[in-house]
Amino acid sequence: MIRTDRVFGVVVILAALAYIASAYNLPQGSMFDKLGPKAFPIIVGAGALISAAFLVLRPDDEPDWPPVPTLLALAFATLVLVAYAYALKPMGFIVPTAIAAGVLSYQITPKPLSAVLVGIGLSVGLFVIFKYALGLSLFAFPRALMG
Amino acid sequence: MKFTYLKALGTSAVISLMAASSAWSAECIAPANPGGGWDFTCRQIGKILYDIGQVDAPVQVTNMAGAGGGLAFSTVVAERNEDPELIVAASSATTTRLAQKAFGDATADQVRFVGAIGADPGVIVVAADSPYQSLSDLVEAVKADPASVAFAGGSAAGGFDHMKPLQVLKAGGFDDITAVKYIGVDGGADAITQTVGGFTQAMTGDMSEIVGFIKSGEVRALAVLTEERVPGFEDIPTAKEQGYDVVAVNWRGLYVPGGISDGDFQKWADRLQAVADSAEWKQAMADNGLAPFTKVGGDFQSWIDGVIAQTEELSREIGVIQ
Amino acid sequence: MEIFSNLALGFSIALTPFTLMLAVIGCFLGTIIGALPGLGPSNGVAILIPITFSMGLDATAALVLLTSVYYGAMYGGRISSILLNIPGDEPAMMTTLDGYPMAKQGRAGDALVISGVASFVGAFLATIALAMVAPYLARIAYKFGPAEYFALYTLAFATLGGMASKNQAKAALASFIGLAIALVGLDNNSGFNRFTGGNLHLSDGIDFLVAIVGLFAVSEVFFFIETHGKDSAVGVKLGKVTIPWAEMWSTRWTMIRSSVVGFVAGVLPGAGASLGSFMTYMMEKGIAGDKGGFGTGVAKGVAAPEAGNNAAAGGALVPMLTLGVPGSGTTAVLLAVLMTLNITPGPTLFADRPEVVWGLIASLLIANVVLLLMNVPMVKVFVKILMVPPAVLLPAVTMISFVGIYSLSGSYFDLVLMIIFGVVGYAFRKMDIPTVPVILGILLGYQMENNLRHAMTLSGGEWTYLFSSPIAIGLWIAAVLGFVAPMFLRGLLKRPEIRDADELVD
Repeated sequence: MIRTDRVFGVVVILAALAYIASAYNLPQGSMFDKLGPKAFPIIVGAGALISAAFLVLRPDDEPDWPPVPTLLALAFATLVLVAYAYALKPMGFIVPTAIAAGVLSYQITPKPLSAVLVGIGLSVGLFVIFKYALGLSLFAFPRALMG
Repeated sequence: MKFTYLKALGTSAVISLMAASSAWSAECIAPANPGGGWDFTCRQIGKILYDIGQVDAPVQVTNMAGAGGGLAFSTVVAERNEDPELIVAASSATTTRLAQKAFGDATADQVRFVGAIGADPGVIVVAADSPYQSLSDLVEAVKADPASVAFAGGSAAGGFDHMKPLQVLKAGGFDDITAVKYIGVDGGADAITQTVGGFTQAMTGDMSEIVGFIKSGEVRALAVLTEERVPGFEDIPTAKEQGYDVVAVNWRGLYVPGGISDGDFQKWADRLQAVADSAEWKQAMADNGLAPFTKVGGDFQSWIDGVIAQTEELSREIGVIQ
Repeated sequence: MEIFSNLALGFSIALTPFTLMLAVIGCFLGTIIGALPGLGPSNGVAILIPITFSMGLDATAALVLLTSVYYGAMYGGRISSILLNIPGDEPAMMTTLDGYPMAKQGRAGDALVISGVASFVGAFLATIALAMVAPYLARIAYKFGPAEYFALYTLAFATLGGMASKNQAKAALASFIGLAIALVGLDNNSGFNRFTGGNLHLSDGIDFLVAIVGLFAVSEVFFFIETHGKDSAVGVKLGKVTIPWAEMWSTRWTMIRSSVVGFVAGVLPGAGASLGSFMTYMMEKGIAGDKGGFGTGVAKGVAAPEAGNNAAAGGALVPMLTLGVPGSGTTAVLLAVLMTLNITPGPTLFADRPEVVWGLIASLLIANVVLLLMNVPMVKVFVKILMVPPAVLLPAVTMISFVGIYSLSGSYFDLVLMIIFGVVGYAFRKMDIPTVPVILGILLGYQMENNLRHAMTLSGGEWTYLFSSPIAIGLWIAAVLGFVAPMFLRGLLKRPEIRDADELVD
């Protein structure tokens, strides 16, 4: 059976090898820096490699991963967050925040009406707090619309 | 690279927006997060410029942290080269990094250094119980056995604090400077702790970093690296009077974009001179452990050129740059 | 008496209206954060850090606000333990053992009052002890050179890692991952970029605030989406709250003993508040014997762990302030605050920035009084807040995290990085890979490497220098013991199962 720990261990081992190789190819530092820029990264990479080897050899019990539909929901939530990150600057605070907060709210408790209310409420409420109580420089709407 | 481009776009959008709303307000870029020395320079100078009536609107302070000041430098060169209402906070760290090519391809002649109006004098100190009583004791000890003396300072190897003892040693006729032990710790206070604890034999740093420890008697200053003794610390001899002709101060000042007219350059030089002469600035200096150090306009630019050339030469010798 | 003049200085700073206001706000937010299941002190502080910086607070003010949140969360954790049998945060897990039975007997009010007073006693005594002990410990730090610091950092990883997971290899792996992330970016000593792949954003390194908020706050959202917030607190009832004077008086020695033990547990690197509450509960259970009725709903059973974990929270500030080595997840987060404010913890902190240290200590004392008032007479307010449904709470947490990070750097890059850390945090916690060592690695990696390099520079490349002083040797031995001992102790001391047993976040 394929265990999560084994898969993860192998991934870490590959990453650690790349890390060590990258460190090894760094130029040697100047004279008075006896250890130079390579040694510690190589130690760290080797440490990660050894710990990961333990994971491969002696994996723990399988974690209770959620069923596929839930995993898909989580992936969707991640996408929403990434989209939110990119929308924040060009589209202003209010609209993207309302959508992202609403989607997350719906995902936690699937009640459409309350999700819409949570989205709008959080977006406007947080905007007021951030902008006027805490004095952060936020734009409510796209700058183009605000002139 | 895509992100850098977007970020640059965003920044210029903010700037053009601000330019539209208040056409006459000058802007000071602090190339670091709030709280540091550059931020202090911008905020104090900006405030005093307005208070003493040198500018009509409050100076807008923008923090642009990144790459140790490199982000601000390249932004100014690439996007705001002809902006006459822009000033940027600078210090010895700026010129050290420029001399060591730490800002990529950027060179010091891409901007104009308009003036310094205060400085933190460089010092070399030892623990109170150290056998070294004078700067020459220390220099002779290094000459006799370079491994016997380790220096600690608040800047990384190759940084300004590292350069100070190397310059002194060179002035004392010791040329094998790559054999000198130096560790760059996290700030001057840490460097003193290491020296008081006996892990290093001497500390090199700025006057403001050692004031508290001199008062508490934990360290003894061997030399201050200024032309003359520092007011308030008259009992600390200069390196110069001990026979080592080295002046190294961490100045606080400004540069302006390289493409502005000589008239605009002179305008900022005059404004800085006015700040330097103001009572408010004298108070701010006293509050923050700075000593008077005023060089503005063409004088300052040529002094800077000399400092950069010297730093470059030293850096090459110790192998920080090729 | 130096301590009184120092405290006078501290109170002169802490008693300004603005600072006082920050302390009150911090206490209030902290109690809420602590009370809400799923949010503990470390995520609470993590979410608020970026906001605090964007507000441009000075060092003392920022620290006062965030440590008030920290103390407040330690108080608040007991509320959901008692009412819902769900620890508001991990250190409050022991409080469920007697607190919930008391609530079921209709004595929720008594349990909340006694545990609130116990929290006060523990935190107050610990803050006094911090004020007395810290300056002396700070002097010891003059004995710490590069070799000793390197050993000390190793010790921090070993003990925190040793406690944090059931699987030592996973704790070690988490530490190494954190260290590896810390080394990304420009190497100041050589001027080379490392592991950036030419990306300019990475040359400044990965901001630990981004990692902290991602791992602690954003990952929480994923858990709630998975469980649909089943742990929510809807339907809590609390009757009239009166003060059971006689019963409270009977727990006085329990509170004092537990405060002492908790404080010591907090000072030890890596142990932290969870261990404090565990040790004190077990100790009091042993002292009371079978007749004590521990586990059936007795006052001492809530007094001991609450005094213990609050005292440990104060104790954990000692190594953080004097040596710069955090003893727990939350103090790791607070260390990040100090570092961002350009404050170097260590012996020089007490000499250089007395206003920061003593202002902080004085505010903690004030915060304690505020918290006592909030958590005893006003406890019903928080019980109401406990009913905020997760479908509102978690989106709010996420949006606050986004705005906080965004307002700090204004970059998409950091936001995306934060999301990645959120996903990683979720996966790691599923796989029982502790996230606190990752944070510790990101925080300490640069210092750790620097100290190793300095040690080699001073010694001329001689590795034995690392083991050349008695302090260094002692630290190395402690590090090995700290890492190995839990493997054997785990069998002996079976820790009770709780929801988040996989994580030592306190």
